Amino acid sequence: MEMIANLGLGFATAFSPTNLFYCFIGVFLGTFIGVLPGIGALATISMLLPLTFHVPGTTAIIMLAGIYYGAQYGGSTASILLNLPGTPSAAVACLDGYPMSKQGRAGVALFMTTIASFVGASLGIIILTAFSPKLAEVGLMFGPADYFAMMLLGLIAAATLAQGSPVKGIAMVIFGLALGMVGTDVQTGQQRFTFDIPYLSDGISLVALAMGLFGVSEVIASIGRIDSGRLKAQKITFRSMVPTRDDMGRSWAPMLRGTGVGAFFGALPGAGSTIASFMSYAVEKRVAKDPSRFGKGAVEGVTAPESANNAAAQTAFIPTLTLGIPGDAVMALMLGALIIQGIQPGPRLVTEHPELFWGLIASFWIGNVMLVILNLPLIGIWVRMLKIPYSILYPAILLFICIGVFSVNNSYFDVLMVMLFGLLGYVMLLLRFEPAPLVLGFILGPLMEEHLRRAMLLSRGDPAVFIERPISATLLACTAGLLGWALWSSMRGRQPAEAMAGATAGR
Amino acid sequence: MRLSRDYVDVVGGVGLVLFGGWVYAHAAAEYDFGTLRRMGPGFFPAALAVLLMVFGALLAVPALFRSGEGPRISVRSFLSILAGILAFAWLIEPFGLVPATIALVGLAALAEPGFRPIRTALLAVALSALGVLIFSQGLGIPIPAFRWSPA
Repeated sequence: MEMIANLGLGFATAFSPTNLFYCFIGVFLGTFIGVLPGIGALATISMLLPLTFHVPGTTAIIMLAGIYYGAQYGGSTASILLNLPGTPSAAVACLDGYPMSKQGRAGVALFMTTIASFVGASLGIIILTAFSPKLAEVGLMFGPADYFAMMLLGLIAAATLAQGSPVKGIAMVIFGLALGMVGTDVQTGQQRFTFDIPYLSDGISLVALAMGLFGVSEVIASIGRIDSGRLKAQKITFRSMVPTRDDMGRSWAPMLRGTGVGAFFGALPGAGSTIASFMSYAVEKRVAKDPSRFGKGAVEGVTAPESANNAAAQTAFIPTLTLGIPGDAVMALMLGALIIQGIQPGPRLVTEHPELFWGLIASFWIGNVMLVILNLPLIGIWVRMLKIPYSILYPAILLFICIGVFSVNNSYFDVLMVMLFGLLGYVMLLLRFEPAPLVLGFILGPLMEEHLRRAMLLSRGDPAVFIERPISATLLACTAGLLGWALWSSMRGRQPAEAMAGATAGR
Repeated sequence: MRLSRDYVDVVGGVGLVLFGGWVYAHAAAEYDFGTLRRMGPGFFPAALAVLLMVFGALLAVPALFRSGEGPRISVRSFLSILAGILAFAWLIEPFGLVPATIALVGLAALAEPGFRPIRTALLAVALSALGVLIFSQGLGIPIPAFRWSPA
C-alpha cells in the first residue's frame, strides 16, 4: 500500500510539465549521443552539469539520468550499422549485430535491440523499486566506520573491475582522492593546496574536471579515427524491422537471462553496464545449443547484452540513491550533481526527499516509454544522424563545453581549468590510465576523509573500530579479498575483467 | 611501435611517485598531521601521498622488465584544440561570445588535416548564432555576444 502511495507521489512529480520536458530532453540527447560514436554519456552529462544549476534538484537528476539510460538504447545503432560502438557497453552488439546488418537484417536487429532494451530496463526498474527502500533501511544502521569501509570497497571494485591493469586503476583512484583534497578543510577551515588562488578555495570544480577529462580528451582522441562516411545508404523501412517468429522465439529467454545478469552487475559497486553486457554475451554462448552461430548474426547475441546493459543502467541507481555510494563514474557525476544541489545522498534520501526519489523512479518509466517511441518509429532519423561528419560535430562539442563551464561562475578561470584537465586527460590517455576511477575518487574523497576522521574521533583514536564493527569488518574483508585477487591475477598477466568476460566474448 | 621496455608504464609510475612525493612534502611542511584521534588537515593528504608513491613504484618497477607498445601521439589535434580553448578563455570576458566562438572554431578546425576555410567560416558563423540563441536568449545566461573592454 505504501509503495502505491509512494509511486503515486512519484508520478505526480514526474508528470509536471517541467519534469516531463527535461525528461524528454534527457532521453532525446541520450539517444543522440548514444547513436554517435566519439561522444559518450559521461561527456554529455559533464557538459550538462552547468545547466543543472538553473533548475531544481529533482528536475536536474531526471534529465541527467535520462541521458544515461537513453544512451544505452542508442548505443547499439552504430554497432549494428557501422561495426563501431556508439557507447562502450554497446561494443558487444557489434559481434552479432554487424553480421546481421551485412545479411540485410539491420532492421530486425534494430527492432530487437529496442525491445530487449525496454524489457531489460522495465525489469531493472521493478528491481530498483523493490530493493531500494529495504537497502536504505539497512543503510541507516551504518556508522562512520562502515561508510568508510563501504566507500573503500566501492573504489577498489571500480578500480580493479574496470578495463586496464588494477594497479593503474587504484593509482587513479588515489590520484582522484588527492585532487579532492584541494580547497577548504571542512573541520578546521584550513586552505589546502589552493596556493592563494581564490577560485580554488571551494575546491576544484567538478564540472571543469569532468568536462576536461571526458569531453576534451575524448575529442582529441577521436579526431581522425571516426569515419562515418562508411555508412551505406541502408533504408530502414518498417517492413524490414518485422522480426520472424524464429527471432522472437529465440530471444525471450536470453532477454530474461540478460536482465538477470545485468541487474546483478549493475547494482554491484564498480561493475557497471559494460561488464554486464560482456558477461551476458558469455553466458548466452555457454548455454546455447549451437555456440557456433554466435559472431555470425545470432539474434540472441544482440538481445541478451542489450537487456543486460539496460537493466544495469537502472539498478546502478540502487547503491547511489540509497547508500550514496556510486558504482561507476556516471553515477559519481549524478552524486556530484545532487551534492551541488545541496542534497546529501544516503539512506535518508528516500525519507527526506521522497519526491526526488520516487519522482526519479517514475520518470524512468516515462523515459523508457519515450525511448521506445523515439527508437522505433523514428529510427530513420537516428540512422541519418550517423552521417553527420565528426569535423562538424567536434567544434560544436568544444563550444558547448566552453560556454557551459563559463556559465557556472561567469569566469574564464573555469575555462582554463577545462583546458588543464583536457591536457591531463590526454596525457593519461597516452599513458593508458583510465579517467573514470579518478572522478570516482575525486567525488568520494572529501566524504571518505570526513567519515574516517569522525570514526577515529568516536573510537578515541583506536583503529580497531574498523574490524570490531561487523558491517565494516565484512566490507573490509571483501575489499581485501578483491584486492588480493586483482593483484594476483595481474601478476599472472591476466586482467580480471578480461579473465571474467573478454576472453569468452569470442574475440 | 614496439619498445624494449614498457616505457609507458615507467613514465606513468615515475610521474605518480614524483607527484606523491611533492604532495607529501607540501602537506608535511604546511599542514598539521594531528593525532589518530583528532586528525589534522595534513593527515589524509599525507597518507594518500604515501599510497601514490607505493602504487607508482608498483607500476614502474615491473614495467622495466617487460616490452611494451608506444603511444600514438597526435600532436596536431592536441595542440590546436588546447589552443582553441585557451583562446576562448582569453577572449570571452573582454570581447564577448561571438569573437571567442570564432577563435575556438577556427583553431579547433586546424586539428584535422586539410584546411577548408569556407566550411570552417560557415561553421563558426552557424555555431556563434546557435550559441547566442541557446545560451544568451534561450537559457538567459548573461554572456554578451559582443563587448569591448580590453583589460
